[in-house]
Amino acid sequence: MKTLVLGLGNPILTDDGVGIHVARVLATRCRRDDVTFAEASVGGLRLLDVIGGYERIILVDAIQTRDGKPGDIHRLHPDDLRASLHSGSTHDLSLPGALALGRGMGMTLPNDESIVIIAIEVEDVLTFGEACTPAVAATIPRAVEAVLIELGTGEQ
Amino acid sequence: MKTISIDPITRLEGHGKIEIFLDEEGNVANAYLVVPELRGFEKFAEGRPVEEMPRITPRICGVCPEAHHMASAKACDAVYHVEVPPTGKKLRELLYSAFYVADHTVHFYILAAPDFVLGPDAPPAERNILGLIHKVGLEIGGKVIRSRGMGMDIVGMLGGKTVHPVGALPGGVSKAINEEERAQIEAWGHELVEFGQFGLQLFHDVVLANKTYLDMILSDTFTTPMYYMGLVDENNKVNFYDGKVRVVDPEGNEFVKYAPKEYLDVIAERVEPWTYLKFPYLKKVGWKGFVTGMDSGIYQATPLSRLNAADGMTTPLAQEAYEHFYETLGGKPVHGTLATHWARLIELLYAAERIVELATDSEITDPHVRNVPTETPDEGVGIVEAPRGTLTHHYITDEKGIVQKCNLIVGTTNNYAPMSISIKKAASAFIKEDQVSEGLLNRVEMAFRSYDPCLGCATHTLPGQMPLEVLVRDADGNVVEQLAQFIE
Repeated sequence: MKTLVLGLGNPILTDDGVGIHVARVLATRCRRDDVTFAEASVGGLRLLDVIGGYERIILVDAIQTRDGKPGDIHRLHPDDLRASLHSGSTHDLSLPGALALGRGMGMTLPNDESIVIIAIEVEDVLTFGEACTPAVAATIPRAVEAVLIELGTGEQ
Repeated sequence: MKTISIDPITRLEGHGKIEIFLDEEGNVANAYLVVPELRGFEKFAEGRPVEEMPRITPRICGVCPEAHHMASAKACDAVYHVEVPPTGKKLRELLYSAFYVADHTVHFYILAAPDFVLGPDAPPAERNILGLIHKVGLEIGGKVIRSRGMGMDIVGMLGGKTVHPVGALPGGVSKAINEEERAQIEAWGHELVEFGQFGLQLFHDVVLANKTYLDMILSDTFTTPMYYMGLVDENNKVNFYDGKVRVVDPEGNEFVKYAPKEYLDVIAERVEPWTYLKFPYLKKVGWKGFVTGMDSGIYQATPLSRLNAADGMTTPLAQEAYEHFYETLGGKPVHGTLATHWARLIELLYAAERIVELATDSEITDPHVRNVPTETPDEGVGIVEAPRGTLTHHYITDEKGIVQKCNLIVGTTNNYAPMSISIKKAASAFIKEDQVSEGLLNRVEMAFRSYDPCLGCATHTLPGQMPLEVLVRDADGNVVEQLAQFIE
């Protein structure tokens, strides 16, 4: 299945870049012809540009929930974002909104079941810096494993 | 004192919070936009080679990486005292014009148009691009996606990457274009000009032809006279990429015109105890609090302010639209916040026309696109007009080009004070004697949305909704009423 693993976040904003760090590790640990590893620091329509044409998408991203502990890992689908998260951009579409628009326009996009979001609970997303805080950095190997499990593949 | 708090429930992106304070009579006393400030960029930049800045600064913001890329490259040109060859400049402006088309398209069609096409009182679940397509037809969705896509493809062609451009270097750009690329850009440019005209026609048919909307644009609720800032060329015409920054007063007279390196003579930043944010204002007028008018140093930097600060547009169709704009809205300057949407569409058309002009310029395929810096680096300021306002990058380096100090004034920052003022005005019309009437959230949302704020300046993480939660608190801080909605 043509799969995209996409690390999302800002790699120079401390924990915000955790998804990108995970994707970078994955790219060195897993090589399969049907899987593409990429990173992006965008959302909404810009995100739609990146994810079009795949049959399955695994997004790895940072998240902050009310009672979350830094380092917790959540496995979500786009619909969960509507219910459980309140991330937003004042300038662009939400992920579910972008997906609905893309589908409405006839873009090739997987259904929601085939879009998995591995979301890592983070601590500091307001300070510029290239490294994650310790609790979040320590989670990166577990997040890598979580994605490998999604891919149905052990370490290669 | 009661406090009404419009608060995104938690943050990942675009996390802002609106605080509305009521007086003893239960009317609006003050309103502020509270945004958690990203910290430590200056420190992050210190010690890095300055030529890395055009690649690092686009990461600050997932919404307008191209604007940071350009301001940074221009600041580097200044640091190295290097003149960019004419074709290098033109390619940069071409990329930047394409970015403007894409960015303004997203704002108008995805965020602004639903308020007008579906109506300001339509429920948020319908008041979005999907509702818009449902009402106007699938064809419009196709046009929007295609036009934005063409803009981004040009950015990708010239910038090296579509997501984070790397094309501009100190002294120019990294790559010239060939005839085939030029012809493709020209063809897209013509299509984008048509799309720009389509947008103005749509605005005319949907907004201007509807007396209720026109009255709303001209209404006191959305009128905030202040100083207006924008980059202009040597003939005082709007320019996004280069020139001097011109500021006009609330009556439209030129107050100051400054070169990038003079910005600290003109702009000061106000620090308030309740927020990390700094509020830029005009030094010579002074800070008089969150008030508008001739005596208050607050200025705005938006599509509306750019038109107000200039004497016109350099391209024919945009100039025509510019004249129509001022004829319809009662002459210069226009103070109606909601007119910013119209101004944005005029800028979109201008940017599309610039794409065609630059793509048909006889020098545009010239291979000489960069002058390699040879001077000793020291200090430089670069300014461009970001879609969300005048963007200033200022670097000081040692003789090896290592950044010692860095100062940025990003687009939205210019508008923090004006946004607070606009929110207060809109809220005042909907809160009377403790009674919060229907429509408050939508009007407050429309007021700050017209500024197209980029609150986190790093929009990328788990993109979702912009939730608004309004908490009405009594004098003891107890929540007596709660309103919430999700903006999609």
